[in-house]
Amino acid sequence: METVLPATRLRRAHTPLLLALAWKNVRLRYKSSLLGFVWTLLNPLLFLGIFLLIFGQAFPQVPNYAVFALTGLVFWTFFSTVSGHMLGALVENANVLKSLAVPPLAFPLGQLLAGLFNLALSFIPLAFILAWFGWRPSPAHLLIVPATALFALFISGIGLGLCALNVYFRDIGLLWSALLPAFFYLTPIAYPPELVPDRLRWVAELNPLYHFITLVRAIIVEGVVPSPYVWVTASLFAAVALGVGMTLHNLLRRGYIANY
Amino acid sequence: MEEALHRIEARGLSVDYLVQRHGSRSIKEYIVSLGSKRLLERKRILTGVDLSINAGECFGIVGRNGSGKSTLLRVLAGIVEPVEGTIITRGTLAPMLGLGVGLEPELTGIENAKLCAALMGCDRSGTQRTLENVRSFSGLSEDDLLMPVKRYSSGMMARLGFSIATANDPDILLVDEVLAVGDAGFQRKCYERIGALKRRGGTVVLVSHSLGEVQRLCDRAACMEQGRVVKTGHPHEVGVHYHGLLGIPVAP
Repeated sequence: METVLPATRLRRAHTPLLLALAWKNVRLRYKSSLLGFVWTLLNPLLFLGIFLLIFGQAFPQVPNYAVFALTGLVFWTFFSTVSGHMLGALVENANVLKSLAVPPLAFPLGQLLAGLFNLALSFIPLAFILAWFGWRPSPAHLLIVPATALFALFISGIGLGLCALNVYFRDIGLLWSALLPAFFYLTPIAYPPELVPDRLRWVAELNPLYHFITLVRAIIVEGVVPSPYVWVTASLFAAVALGVGMTLHNLLRRGYIANY
Repeated sequence: MEEALHRIEARGLSVDYLVQRHGSRSIKEYIVSLGSKRLLERKRILTGVDLSINAGECFGIVGRNGSGKSTLLRVLAGIVEPVEGTIITRGTLAPMLGLGVGLEPELTGIENAKLCAALMGCDRSGTQRTLENVRSFSGLSEDDLLMPVKRYSSGMMARLGFSIATANDPDILLVDEVLAVGDAGFQRKCYERIGALKRRGGTVVLVSHSLGEVQRLCDRAACMEQGRVVKTGHPHEVGVHYHGLLGIPVAP
């Protein structure tokens, strides 16, 4: 066996590594916590409580506000936690990356996989809670799988760009945690998208999250097959995010080792 | 065929690090200074390093802090890409470049062993062998291995790390200054294992500040200074040269 070095590009052979890292992230999240993955749901449920108390009255035009808001919240939490974890993934593992021939990409992707696993787990209690609010499962709900996959591609693009920049600028984390609440209010999570006036609709539609939330809501809340327009815009945003994230990573990866 | 080829062959190896010029660590500073600061600057770390290391050989590297020893090991381990020159390694490789690398403080010794095996690219049977070796070689009790690694002493971490790194009988073992923290008993076990590795035709590259260790373990050695290999040869000659650089009088 002859190796021409270096060996730090991600290959198919790294699949067991990715799974091991994802599993580690899942384990660490629930280590020494009695309630286990209930914690994953606690944050959206807390928000839901506030939403129901305050906004529920404000938007009588939304037929089942609890189902509407909880769906948005669960996917928002997926976005905000995974992008945040991916952001720190390279810097936090600097020690390993400086000492073992591990592809740097494995760490942010391990976070993404852990996030997907958590999301899948949270679907179970979510289904019960939704059912309690009068929601009934139907075959169209299976479309949540490709929709989540698109969303995950979008998030991985964002996360890769962020973690690459974070190697060089340590205030990217601060910047991101300041931007996240802004996006939370910009995206129709607590309020119905119809609330945005028509002349400003194009501004709202510039926000990629708008389309992903519309996509998952059409599937889960309305139980319909989303329109091709929503699928196409969501796919475009996912492709652009992934393209930008990978480009940043490829441009900056040569300098990682000296700047972790 | 195998005998004729060197285990490690480096030709004209040069490495640059892209470092932030003014140590600018924040995007705010960078934007404020835009135009006056360039983001990255090239810094030469290794210059034209030639090395051939044989099978069955223990090769020592000495040199002052910052002379490029660790970077050279990183190139050998495939972590850093040279800007010039070529590097070929033949066989499986296990790097031990730092104490407790890859160990997750909250997880137990066993969980960490599995994780490190994955980080080192082990398949299922490799992981199994790693676990067996950790149990048989590390000298850590079953209780220790079920304890979170955050409660380990540095010596215990060295035991765990060395057992993981050498579990799958690597053809090339890279060691950077990590044996020093173990107690004398474990150090002897490590030296014995290095000897066993050599007898089966394995290669060990050892970076150490302890000339005594290099002279005791190594068949050949190199001394580095400012990113270059300035002397290669018998460990004693290299030791004399290194002491000359440091300005320490040589004991007869």
